[in-house]
Amino acid sequence: MSVPVSQMWAVASYVLGQRLRGRMRYPLVLMLEPLFRCNLACAGCGKIQYPAQILRKHLSVDACLRAVDECGAPMVSIPGGEPLMYPDIGRLVEALVARKKYVYLCTNAILLEEKLEAGIFAPSKYLTFSVHMDGLREEHDEAVCRDGVYDTAVAAIRGALRRGFRVTTNTTLFDGASPLRMRAFFDEMMDLGVEGMMLSPGYSYSKAPDQEHFLRQRKTNELFSRMLANPKRRWKFNQSPLFLQFLMGKHDFDCTPWGNPTFNIFGWQRPCYLLQEGYAATFQELMATTRWEQYGKRSGNEKCRDCMVHCGFEATAVDRTFSTWPGLRDAVVSTVTGRL
Amino acid sequence: MADAEPSLEGWIPAIGADLSLPRVIDLAFDYRGNTTVVTRDGTEVEGYIFNRDADAAEPFIQLFEADGSGPRTIPYADIRTINFTGKDTAAGNSYAAWRRRKAEAQRPADPP
Repeated sequence: MSVPVSQMWAVASYVLGQRLRGRMRYPLVLMLEPLFRCNLACAGCGKIQYPAQILRKHLSVDACLRAVDECGAPMVSIPGGEPLMYPDIGRLVEALVARKKYVYLCTNAILLEEKLEAGIFAPSKYLTFSVHMDGLREEHDEAVCRDGVYDTAVAAIRGALRRGFRVTTNTTLFDGASPLRMRAFFDEMMDLGVEGMMLSPGYSYSKAPDQEHFLRQRKTNELFSRMLANPKRRWKFNQSPLFLQFLMGKHDFDCTPWGNPTFNIFGWQRPCYLLQEGYAATFQELMATTRWEQYGKRSGNEKCRDCMVHCGFEATAVDRTFSTWPGLRDAVVSTVTGRL
Repeated sequence: MADAEPSLEGWIPAIGADLSLPRVIDLAFDYRGNTTVVTRDGTEVEGYIFNRDADAAEPFIQLFEADGSGPRTIPYADIRTINFTGKDTAAGNSYAAWRRRKAEAQRPADPP
């Protein structure tokens, strides 16, 4: 794992605090979507297909901060849309850092160099640029449906690292991904000097245009087992080792849909980052009125049957790590030995 | 997977014994385009339906109107029908379609 000790400590103490208070459902990462506008149109993404009046909208900084305070999660992920197209992104990040929230700004990095040169951001242990990279050049450019994006992102990553920023990558894997090519990709990202990598299988969104290339559970286990077999010590992953082991088929977790609550221009999204079954006006209403028992694998909900995506299962893995001795043991062993 | 994915764009539902209003509302909620909500008094409201709650004490939909204003809340009880009048923004954007377009762009042009 490559998560800094201070961040690990903040998350561990938060999780233990929630457990000590007897709170069984608590948020871990707020998914804050200030806008849906994007400068890419990836076939696997169901987030940006909206009419023009929706794409023109964005949240105010005040609305974002109210959501952050209401939710209380120690980490805030800013996806979208492309957050670097959000006009107040600098002010928002500054306010989140001042609140000591660990911010993951998820970007395709097309605008990153420009924003860094403009001095909009200041390096901080609380701010990480999580750059979307779906594999080596060929795979990435194909996944984002535009040639040249990989090279732009690599240049931006170098620029951010040179300026002292924390940089990770986030990778969504689709059916047909080559374990050997992905291992080469891990080497390439480590050569670049990123702090760590985040991996997740894609999810067959009902609203995403590409339904054929998302992974099913058995294929997911096979792919991740082959990809992460005998992992190199130099590979760093910015996520729970238990989550990676889950993807390899070594744990049988159920989803924690409230772990990564999502807030956007429509309100608090039910029940999770991926499914859009309606919206609540407040975080409290989301938690109190969502029929959580209808979601997750054990619910029998067919929309959840094959899902293994990070936004549902990373929170389960983290909760298992810090609330059970076997979970803590497995995470420590993996961290110390580098084995998954 | 082809470009010609099924789309509800242009659909004017005939609500009746075989098609209930709640079903049309669910389809309109899933639709990635503007729709036109026709209320019982004949008023037409064009916009993007982003929320619906069929289990509320008074079931309702919420939409952002086509001019960007809103959100506006309309009770189920006030809705006569919903027409799928706006462009389906998800249609034709498949991965397969992109690959086909890319292949076509890379194919050498036919000699004159």
